Amino acid sequence: MKVSGVRYLVQQGVDNVWKNRMMAFASFCVLLVSLLLVGISVLAYYNVNSIIGGIEEKNEVIVYFNDNTDDETLKEIGSKLRAMPNISEVVFYSKEEAYESLKASMAEYEVLFDSLGDDNPLVDAYRIKVNNIDEIQSTIAEIRKLDNIYSIRAPYDFVNILVQLRTILTWVMGAIILAMVIVSMVIISNTTKASVYARREEIQIMKYVGATDAFIRFPFFIEGMITGFFAGCMALVITWLVYDSVVNILQNQVALLNIIGMGSIIRFADIYIPVTVAYVVGGALVGAIGSAISTRRYINV
Amino acid sequence: MVELKDVSVTYASGVDALNHVSLKINDGDFAFVVGSSGAGKSTMIKLLLKEIDATEGVVIVNGYNLRKLRRRKIPELRRTIGIVFQDFRLIPSMTVYENIAFVLRVIDAPYKYIRKRVPYVISLVGLQAKANSFPHELSGGEMQRVAIARALVNDPKLIIADEPTGNIDPELSYEIVELLKGINACGTTILMVTHEHDLVRHFGGRIINITQGEIVFDEILGGADEG
Ligand SMILES: Nc1ncnc2c1ncn2[C@@H]1O[C@H](COP(=O)(O)OP(=O)(O)OP(=O)(O)O)[C@@H](O)[C@H]1O
Ligand SMILES: [Mg+2]
Repeated sequence: MKVSGVRYLVQQGVDNVWKNRMMAFASFCVLLVSLLLVGISVLAYYNVNSIIGGIEEKNEVIVYFNDNTDDETLKEIGSKLRAMPNISEVVFYSKEEAYESLKASMAEYEVLFDSLGDDNPLVDAYRIKVNNIDEIQSTIAEIRKLDNIYSIRAPYDFVNILVQLRTILTWVMGAIILAMVIVSMVIISNTTKASVYARREEIQIMKYVGATDAFIRFPFFIEGMITGFFAGCMALVITWLVYDSVVNILQNQVALLNIIGMGSIIRFADIYIPVTVAYVVGGALVGAIGSAISTRRYINV
Repeated sequence: MVELKDVSVTYASGVDALNHVSLKINDGDFAFVVGSSGAGKSTMIKLLLKEIDATEGVVIVNGYNLRKLRRRKIPELRRTIGIVFQDFRLIPSMTVYENIAFVLRVIDAPYKYIRKRVPYVISLVGLQAKANSFPHELSGGEMQRVAIARALVNDPKLIIADEPTGNIDPELSYEIVELLKGINACGTTILMVTHEHDLVRHFGGRIINITQGEIVFDEILGGADEG
């Protein structure tokens, strides 16, 4: 096809957006919401994953032993722990070490420690790291079966929440993507139908004078692509703003950051290139394909 | 050239619109097709454009055997045919010039050719002064002249006109037919469906009468204006 022909068709597509602006706007909104839902759930998913990874890095299960446990038994337990499949690191943490570090962290309460004298109220412990945090529960259950255990401290609840969150997010994300792709296609298909209907006489004449199928459909394809492109741009801007303000709020939550680690939250500046490409290309693609499919149905050459 | 050999058309509803029709229109001919409402005239036109397929028989238009013509090739066939409708079917949002240029754009003609060709056909139908008017600014006769210019612009071998004078004043009808006759004189085959017996009587020539899906009359008559 000649350049002038392509320019004419693209112009037709651009004009269509304006002529069917109500329907184009409806498509735009639906695509925007779809892209936002998909985009935000994907971003949330990656963040939860990153946070879980961060906790996995520095997670620590501490196993405390009964005060009267002798060194022999402790060693034996230590090697049993090392033998467990999900445990990557086992470090002995004596009650003396614990006492010193406690004293150091509470220097202003020296009086209190003085009153205790040489009496160390703490117990011996092992600090343990696990490989896979998803399985932390069964690992802890395994540890619990050992003798002489006084108590076990693990980032249990929080990890549990995150792991559940990740599972839920995976499902929700899948469902949202599926639903949104279907809804977008249906709406775009309807927009295209309206657009075809608005131009039915023109299309009829085009057919009578020998326009090819591709020639008639091309402007609708462009129309869908333009709508999708703008929805992608808008989604990008909204995501950026929302994302940055959420990150800002989190940055002020010191307590939370202590647990998850600031490094675990992905910054928008680090991901804006793939996000931009995904939104703009995704929007344009869904728009174009949606209308291409429906013109096939509504224009019978 | 148009040739129908023992053609029948039965619509899905069961209506037999054409019944074993055979007909041949040679290149350069001018033929009137007459017949009462529902006789099958428009059905025949749809057949020639391959909007519908014959249930039986062979249809050949400008060298294309329509039964064998693939869907993909329909545009190729239609580029050899110009069509004029009773209700003009101009695009309201386009000027006279655009309405005609549109046809050439659709078939991807070179830009330079469009700029030369469109003013030329506009002058053939005598509408130079209206080139930049919109359809709603024209009279019925003028609109039909635009439609004829549009049918003509691609230099078709065959022009099919389905009641081109049906929506315009009787006096202007003669003008339209004169115009078509002029085009025919330059070598284009013309097939014109009409209800107006006065017109047929006035111009004469080949008359094909379809009644209830059958050709009951196909002869050349002398017109009133022939000396
Ligand atoms: N799409 C269709 N489906 C079913 N029947 C149809 C269809 N189109 C036309 N018919 C029937 O076929 C017959 C011929 O119709 P056609 O349109 O060819 O008549 P016509 O000669 O053009 O009439 P008119 O002079 O009123 O335009 C009529 O009985 C009509 O009702
Ligand atoms: Mg008819």
